[in-house]
Amino acid sequence: MKKLPNFLLIAALVAVLAAGLAACGGGGSSSGKPTTSEGGGAGAEGKEGGTLKGAYTSFPDYMDPQISYTAEGWTAMRPVYIPLLTYKHAEGEEGAEIIPGLAKELPKITNGDKTYTMFLRKGLKYSNGEEIKAGDFKYAVERCFLTNSGGSPFYTDIAGAEQFAKTKKGGISGIKVNESTGEIVINLMKPQGTFPNTLALMFVAPIPQKTPAEDQSAHPIPASGPYYLTKSEPGRGWEYERNPYWAKDNGKQLTEIPSGHVDKIEIEVLRNQSTQVNDVESGKLNWIFDPPPTDRYTEVKEKFEGTQFRPEPTISTYYFWMNETVEPFSNQKVREAVNYAVDPAALERIYTGQIKGTQQILPPGMPGYEKFELFPHNVKKAKELIAESGIKDKEVTVWTDSESPNNDAGTYYQGLLNEIGLKAELKILNPDNYFTVIGNRSTPNLDTGFSDWFEDFPHPNDFFDILLNGESIQNTNNQNFSQTNVPELNKKIDKLAEEQLGPQQEKEYAELDKEFMEHAAWAPYGTRTLSLFVSSNINLETAIWNPTFETELTSLEFKE
Amino acid sequence: MPPESENPGTEAPIPIGTGALDADLGIGPDGAGVVEAAPGEAGPGGGPWAVAWRRLRRNKVALFSLAVFLLIVICCLLAPVWANQVAHTGPNTTHTLEKLHVGGEVREVVEPSGKAIGPQWFEAGGKFFLGADGHLGRDEMVRLLYGGRSSLFIGIVAALITTILAVTFALLAGYYGGWPDTIISRAMDVIWAFPVVLLGISLGIVLAVGGLVIGPIHLKSSSLWIPTLIIGVVYTPYMARPLRGEILALREKEFIEAAIAQGASGFRIMFVELLPNLLSTIIVFFTLNIANNMLLEAVLSYLGAGVQPPSSSWGTMISEGFQALYSQPILTIIPGTAILLTVLSVNVFGDGLRDALDPKSKVRFEARAGTAAEMDNPI
Repeated sequence: MKKLPNFLLIAALVAVLAAGLAACGGGGSSSGKPTTSEGGGAGAEGKEGGTLKGAYTSFPDYMDPQISYTAEGWTAMRPVYIPLLTYKHAEGEEGAEIIPGLAKELPKITNGDKTYTMFLRKGLKYSNGEEIKAGDFKYAVERCFLTNSGGSPFYTDIAGAEQFAKTKKGGISGIKVNESTGEIVINLMKPQGTFPNTLALMFVAPIPQKTPAEDQSAHPIPASGPYYLTKSEPGRGWEYERNPYWAKDNGKQLTEIPSGHVDKIEIEVLRNQSTQVNDVESGKLNWIFDPPPTDRYTEVKEKFEGTQFRPEPTISTYYFWMNETVEPFSNQKVREAVNYAVDPAALERIYTGQIKGTQQILPPGMPGYEKFELFPHNVKKAKELIAESGIKDKEVTVWTDSESPNNDAGTYYQGLLNEIGLKAELKILNPDNYFTVIGNRSTPNLDTGFSDWFEDFPHPNDFFDILLNGESIQNTNNQNFSQTNVPELNKKIDKLAEEQLGPQQEKEYAELDKEFMEHAAWAPYGTRTLSLFVSSNINLETAIWNPTFETELTSLEFKE
Repeated sequence: MPPESENPGTEAPIPIGTGALDADLGIGPDGAGVVEAAPGEAGPGGGPWAVAWRRLRRNKVALFSLAVFLLIVICCLLAPVWANQVAHTGPNTTHTLEKLHVGGEVREVVEPSGKAIGPQWFEAGGKFFLGADGHLGRDEMVRLLYGGRSSLFIGIVAALITTILAVTFALLAGYYGGWPDTIISRAMDVIWAFPVVLLGISLGIVLAVGGLVIGPIHLKSSSLWIPTLIIGVVYTPYMARPLRGEILALREKEFIEAAIAQGASGFRIMFVELLPNLLSTIIVFFTLNIANNMLLEAVLSYLGAGVQPPSSSWGTMISEGFQALYSQPILTIIPGTAILLTVLSVNVFGDGLRDALDPKSKVRFEARAGTAAEMDNPI
């Protein structure tokens, strides 16, 4: 997942636009003042040029393609760094389609699904004029390990990667490149069905080999995409301009990747989300990354839906994890009781309609999703199960973060556990370190709590392998918060992980989903709806929301 | 009734007596620090306490403030009565999906948009008197009363802790001097070096995760004692330093020399001779400290380092209300007003008390934002 739940959480979004304020330099005839929302009719024609002004509530974790692992970072860098493979710049299922990026075509998979062969396109250049080489890809993978990136585990199946991760020397032997032909051959230790998806992640976007193996958030790395970063000031904001080599070189070959409409993009960090909303309404900002605060969500939705605002479903699951290794949650009846007690309808209201209730691991939109409901809300049944379990008044600690409304969800959950017969204490942590604390198994009283997961890529393995496979449990940076470890289900996950996703695999993933819920590993309660909110002079009709990268900045354009 | 002062603007010295109560008003046996009284105050039957009481009684604003404070305390103490007999709900009970029947009309406690029901006063029989508190639909009035209990508990108990620690350290450092003074004073300096809020937040956050374990004592992170102890400790130097200064001056007085000459022990000198001389200052400090403690509690709770949810305090209520500041500002205004009234009443009363006990003293307790406590005229 673009992990970091706290960031993820936020990921809402949008598309923008800028009133072609004269200052924007963009072309043309813009009046210098945004038009009213009524002024922008559906299907309004867009225009090229201008400066798009946007805002984030917080600076991304990193502005470095190999290190960033948040929705904020991925959205920001999507128009800047292009991997060998990439996801189509489209919405819904179409946006989950993998297409060639810097590679000429999709990889040829041989040797029992263990060897991937691709060719880098010829004549590509970075924004500094330097030629893009096949070795740059290899360096990008190695740099993931050199920087201890959170994304490096995706690539440990490459031959020699684990050794390189330990020694940080000698390169990764499983990646062979031929600079003259642009050939790239990747050898895996074992088949990995998700490998094409991981090749399309930002982590392995080629960068110049002279880039230092340390965070470059304040020193933008030359771009391969349609825009390059002209400035990046951590904590304050960043700016883009068109990549001068895109139109003459890269763009001619990468025709499936949009060139973007505006000439410049300026993003500032604006902590107050209500101010962000005000600024979009007034036209001072054209787009905001985060959704309107819960306090104003309904107001914005009612006022601007269809003209400047669009709810956007995400591939995500919000859930309460229960630590299966300690009492009382080691008892399946207690876990089932919790599932019966949790009321997704109440949580929908707590999240002001920004989640849609669900009670399963896989969210709608994910391959393999088949709707079922094993635990219809029934507090009486929950109490009976607790009584049957023989556990009464057991003290448990409920963990959540202080971000609204996750804090309210935690409070609701604590009250619910008390209601069914447990003695729950609530711990609310700062979202900046929440997942670090609950991901450290030595933290005391890790009994149960809130978490969420947004897809890294549209493959069900992304939910099961990291979050529920017993083999993925780690002492620190653990993501299997429930510490679920069911050997037979682990085997199924491992088997499916080696297979390319097809109808049969999707069916098996759907069965796996049900089996985990029969085991009551979690108490899932919803899938998140984020949103796109733009100023009145931005063309909402053409703005694209990608299921993985959220707002496609290249799709934002000013109205005529 | 004491005779009315013929000339309230002038104050005459109180005759010096013997014993501890004389010292209560900062009066040494040598007459140093004589507190002046209004004419007629010091009748034959009027001891220093009676004099102080007469002065206080004349200060109608201070007495009104005391009445307001006591009213707030009584209301908060009656929180369970309101919760059980009127609102029929607890401070942490959620009503997210419930509906309220008001005069034949059905209202949702929390609308699908997440907006909570506003004040119902007595339309629903006292339920949701001040409305609900946001997405969870908890009764705002019930939380306000229970939150007041927490805030008052912390304010008063932390002031007691501060007083006990500060008096003890000040007596040891001021009377013995030498290395005990050096150690205690430097330790106080270390605490003083940190801005109060910053120190409070740091301690609060650390203890909010693991609680506090000292030997057999284990305080859960949700315990009210944690913010109470934190606040009590961080304010100690602001009271201990001026008290120490006062003791340094007092110990040079003849009555202390006389006690030493008579073979009195250090313990006796500190607690029988010196302490009574500090009493008026301590009382004033204690009162003003309550107000400061309540403000610090509100700040710490607002920042998540004080009272831990779902327990309520006025600080946590402001924090929770802040999330809905745009759509429901009343959720912030209500606890904010409660803090304002309480702190104002305590401060005004504290000032009145100071004027009554020691009209010449200029004790000021201004510890907020790292400003040092100040004793303009220690003796």
